Amino acid sequence: MTEITLAQERKKIDIEAVLHPFVKEWFFSKFLDFSLPQKYGVLAIHEKKNILISAPTGGTKTLTAFLAILNQLVTLAEKKQLEDKVYAIYCSPLKALSNDIHKNLIEPLEQIKKIAESHEIKLQEIRVGLRTGDTTQSEKAKMARKAPHILITTPESLAIVLTSKKFVESFQGVEYCILDEIHSLGNKRGVHLSLSLERLNEITKKVPAKIGLSATVEPLEEVAKYLVGIDDKRKVEIAKIPFTKEIDIQVLTPVENLLEEPNPYIPMYHLINDLVKEHKTTLIFTNTRSATERVVNYLKDKFPTEYGDHNIAAHHSSLSKDSRFDVEERLRRGDLKVVVCSTSLELGIDIGYIDLVLLLGSPKASSRALQRIGRAGHRLHEVAKGRFIVSDLDDLVECSVIQKEMIEGKIDKITFPKNCLDVLSQQIYGMAIHKVWDSEEMLKTIRKSYCYHELTKDDFLSIISYLSGEYDLEKSHVYGKIWYDKETKQIGKRGKMARVIYMTNVGTIPDESFITVKMQGGEQIGFMDESFLSRMKKGDVFVLGGKKYMYLYTKGMNLYVKSEIKRPPSIPSWVSESLPLAFESAMEINRLRQLIKEKFSQNKSKKEIIELIKEHMYLNEKIAKEIYQYFYQQYKFSEFPDEKLITVEKYYDTKEKKNYLLVNSMYGRRVNDALSRAIGYLMGLTGGRDIEMGISDRGFYFAGEIMHLDKALKYLNENNLEETLKEAIEKTDILTRRFRHCATRSLMILRNYKGTKSVKKQQMKSHFLIAAVKKISKEFPILKEAKREVLEDLMDLGNAKRVLGQISEGKIKIKIFEANIPSPFALGLLIQGHMDLLKMEDKQAFLKRMHEIYTEEIQKKAFGISYENKSVEELYKDL
Amino acid sequence: MEKFLLLNKSVFFPEEGILAIGDLHLGYEKMLKTSGFEFPINQIKETKQELEKIFLEIKKQKFKLKKIVILGDLKHHFNFEVEEKFEIRKLLSFLEESVSRENIIILKGNHEKINFREAEYKDYFVEKTVAFTHGDKLFPKILDKKIKTIVMGHLHPAVLIHDPKSHKKEKYKCFLVGKWKGKTAIVLPSFLQIIEGTDIRSESARHKDNNFLIIPRKNLLKFKVFIPDKTGKVFEFPKLERIN
Repeated sequence: MTEITLAQERKKIDIEAVLHPFVKEWFFSKFLDFSLPQKYGVLAIHEKKNILISAPTGGTKTLTAFLAILNQLVTLAEKKQLEDKVYAIYCSPLKALSNDIHKNLIEPLEQIKKIAESHEIKLQEIRVGLRTGDTTQSEKAKMARKAPHILITTPESLAIVLTSKKFVESFQGVEYCILDEIHSLGNKRGVHLSLSLERLNEITKKVPAKIGLSATVEPLEEVAKYLVGIDDKRKVEIAKIPFTKEIDIQVLTPVENLLEEPNPYIPMYHLINDLVKEHKTTLIFTNTRSATERVVNYLKDKFPTEYGDHNIAAHHSSLSKDSRFDVEERLRRGDLKVVVCSTSLELGIDIGYIDLVLLLGSPKASSRALQRIGRAGHRLHEVAKGRFIVSDLDDLVECSVIQKEMIEGKIDKITFPKNCLDVLSQQIYGMAIHKVWDSEEMLKTIRKSYCYHELTKDDFLSIISYLSGEYDLEKSHVYGKIWYDKETKQIGKRGKMARVIYMTNVGTIPDESFITVKMQGGEQIGFMDESFLSRMKKGDVFVLGGKKYMYLYTKGMNLYVKSEIKRPPSIPSWVSESLPLAFESAMEINRLRQLIKEKFSQNKSKKEIIELIKEHMYLNEKIAKEIYQYFYQQYKFSEFPDEKLITVEKYYDTKEKKNYLLVNSMYGRRVNDALSRAIGYLMGLTGGRDIEMGISDRGFYFAGEIMHLDKALKYLNENNLEETLKEAIEKTDILTRRFRHCATRSLMILRNYKGTKSVKKQQMKSHFLIAAVKKISKEFPILKEAKREVLEDLMDLGNAKRVLGQISEGKIKIKIFEANIPSPFALGLLIQGHMDLLKMEDKQAFLKRMHEIYTEEIQKKAFGISYENKSVEELYKDL
Repeated sequence: MEKFLLLNKSVFFPEEGILAIGDLHLGYEKMLKTSGFEFPINQIKETKQELEKIFLEIKKQKFKLKKIVILGDLKHHFNFEVEEKFEIRKLLSFLEESVSRENIIILKGNHEKINFREAEYKDYFVEKTVAFTHGDKLFPKILDKKIKTIVMGHLHPAVLIHDPKSHKKEKYKCFLVGKWKGKTAIVLPSFLQIIEGTDIRSESARHKDNNFLIIPRKNLLKFKVFIPDKTGKVFEFPKLERIN
């Protein structure tokens, strides 16, 4: 196993001792002393040790990573010993790298060169090459001819250059590999990168030293293993730099009492306005793109003298690249007073001076909250000032708990998906393009990746079968991408187009179909989800980028609009983009509930309990009082769910004439998603019909006529959850959607092929695709992966199993009871849950039901007779 | 008015013993493959299986299959594709197992830009009071007085059904059946499973007027909708304009 140790803080004098005089001169002309990350990192990197440096944003991480490398290159350059090969690779998931690199690499290099010249020494040129998706063909060719000494790249471009002969040659002597922003790689992109790194290790003569840079992240040991991979010979050091920046955070409510004024939208905008006016530049996070639009629009409308296009802007991923760059640039220049973003400004890039960060609505996880608030006072020692603005009681509890976690340094855990078969197929294809492999050797290389350490041979071989076209039963069509010789156990690429196909289809970010929004003149404004378009009509007014537009017409994949509309907008509401609450934070809320409930049952005085909340949660009197009131109301009114108790309220809605089961289970949406779908499916099997369900972070509900919850609960346990869920998701939209993504990643669907993007592809419905592969094999590997993705990445199967385990052990009790009115906790669930309707029935059942509805309607109007293939003539009497 | 049965995605006239099938688009799979969609759809095999079921149903109902009319767009590519030619040959020999070669009538669709030697194409076909045509072009003969029923394909009709209660929307291939120029008109869905088709009421379909059906949109809105389900059973729905 990979060996993990803690890094040591080194002495300034020891670091100075290894620095080349020019580098030292340059460094101290810029800085007084080494920063903390540098004291931990520079010497270790100099000694070519693997190291993971975790430090809050605004640190000097990037320079830490580069300093020892620059030092080595300058030393070689002075002796004229610099070879034409790549010494270091820097890989970052961010696309807009140039600014950062300029500051941390190009500028230092130029300045060191000048210092050398002042000593009358001419250094050999140290070349830096930037290779991303935007790099032009001529630049790529130039780089291939003369290798850069430091290659700056993205995970996708790295995978591509690993198949290029010229680059592979110049990679053989790579000594360092820097991975930046590791904390954002807990997804398939990270999985993809981990395999690219093993491919790199395999190419180089000596495994390069890995330098991982990360914001505050947990668990560090796992991230460190991810960085270096799994192998007996591998060692890694961890440097955990504490949050030295002081954080000034507070939870604010726009009104005196949220219990009495639960929808304080207008006061909220006044509060935002007041806070913005007190500060120089404010960054507002809203979680969703639609909320971003709403906030910008409202502020401009409500305070026309304060805000206009010159000082307020929206920033989110649906805006065009140009619009986003423009906003970032104006932010850096200090032209903007307020920028409202969804989540898009959480990461990386330097965005200039910000003195206040506002979080509207819960950030749902402490790591995310830290990341966001860290955007304020970007330099390491300035105070990071952030305010949570909450508008309902559940949000209030959530934000208070997240604030507590931040203060106490409790960070939610990052997880890397394991054994993803779609990413694996893509990478095996890349490996086969590079050279002919022995299958055992290939599997050994793959298993060194942290994300594939436990990959089974069966799964590996199923992917080889898929890629080599073995699954294709009809021999007339050959779909093979690689060849596999069962005699010699060798694997190689197939087809002349292989490299081109690989290059143009590499990557893991799903291709959602977006409509381009354009002005009549052709000027591009941004993008909109295709599914949203289907809900709009001509003449509808919507908001994009904080401005109003009117729908004129569509042509192909373009939507043409008119601007400067006076009418009020119908604001876009993008579907299911809300962030799920971290399991850790949910459990923290459960513990808080437990604590307060104990005090209630001990009949402690109100004053005493409020004091306890204040102390326990680092809150002021006003907020503590609101939490007290909210909890007290629940305690007096109904059963009080907590760490050891899940409550189910059976409630009959007389207005809707519907039975409800309201399940109060505070485990975050990912766990609740798994639990509710399994239970809903089981209730469907035991006679439930047309069961509607909704899920949220705090619980879930079912509505319908017949619902045998007791039977479902009796059956379900930690051992059969996975199987039950696999059956439950079989016919859902979510599986077909994810399957399409997986099929694209595994190159069953090529986004780019022979230079064209086929329009026909848009029309191919995912359920046809699933039906097609099921006919080949029920256990088709890519379908298996789509199910894994739904169960483990979208839902949280692991923690859901844990919860069910505790239920069977009796550590968590379930209490089911009748309720005349939903309890205060359940009410929020009911209201929020309605927003997230799930489709439980399949297409076939839907068709039958709608047929019945229409038949009923028809019969009511004596319009026709039911059609049974018999009396056709009669049917057409009305025609 | 002729008696007819809607069987899966096809229509059968028991008295004449004629089965009409809509757009088959053989070669579609090949097109998908060349545009980067590497899915084994096994188009020819699936098509055969579905046809077999229809033949069986005709037998079960004690009718006799005498003729098969393919309503055009048998092939998909506008240009020549070897693979497509093989597929057409395969399908025709399959059909010949049920009816003789001269009783397989292939109509010319807009995709039949070039002709294969394997098939002879007609613009339309008339048997007693029933006329068959692809539907992209109007031929005066099919409007003859003696014609009571016109059968066509081309449009690939589908209907989007929306349940306002559950916010669920699904699209289904469908038949459109109604009155046009004093005759009963039957528009068949495309036979090929993976082409879902278009709901003529949709925004995107409104702009595609230059290759529309010979029956105008406003007439089609008054046509009744019939939807075949996965098993081949056909469900009756109201007129297109009355469906949500």
